[in-house]
Amino acid sequence: MAKLKHRRNPARRYEAVYIFDSTLEDTAIAEKIEKHQTLLQLAEPATIEHWGRRQLAYKIGRHEAGYYVISQFTTLPATLPEFERALKLDEGVVRYLVTLYEHELGAPKLSDEELAARRRASDDDDDDEE
Amino acid sequence: MRRPKKPCPITEAGIRHVDYKDDRLLARFITDYGKILPSRLSGVDARHQRQLAKSVKRARYLALLPYVKGQTA
Repeated sequence: MAKLKHRRNPARRYEAVYIFDSTLEDTAIAEKIEKHQTLLQLAEPATIEHWGRRQLAYKIGRHEAGYYVISQFTTLPATLPEFERALKLDEGVVRYLVTLYEHELGAPKLSDEELAARRRASDDDDDDEE
Repeated sequence: MRRPKKPCPITEAGIRHVDYKDDRLLARFITDYGKILPSRLSGVDARHQRQLAKSVKRARYLALLPYVKGQTA
């Protein structure tokens, strides 16, 4: 079914996670995001969520922390190679990941409150694993 | 003597699709060394275990989870 849909409308929904150098200014990061997203030729603006600075689980080169940004957008697959090339060349980007956005296959995306509630719940019911 | 099947903890939490960005959830399904917990221990159903495995690997790449936990240097 996905194949049929694909043929009729080749645009797909993607999700990109960027990890920027945490020493960059917030304005510089916003500029970089803007610059990279223009390469995607988006019909409608991407949704962008800033996680901000957080500790990396392991060191990546000299970096111990990163500035996380999550973005969702709909674009043609053909625009991705140029977009990824630009990200690879950008020294301010520690790491990035582009994936197909798959939430529509399951339940709708949880809101921030729901996510927070679930995190709280998972904290106090850790006793069921053995 | 078969033990009764454990209910799937991910289904019970009402999650249809495991998200690789939810590191707090994923952290419940890895061992002390950071390996993916087998479903025979966690009781996760096959569909969610597949999603979980992929999500843990993505989360590791994004440095949300460690490849090896408890390692110094």
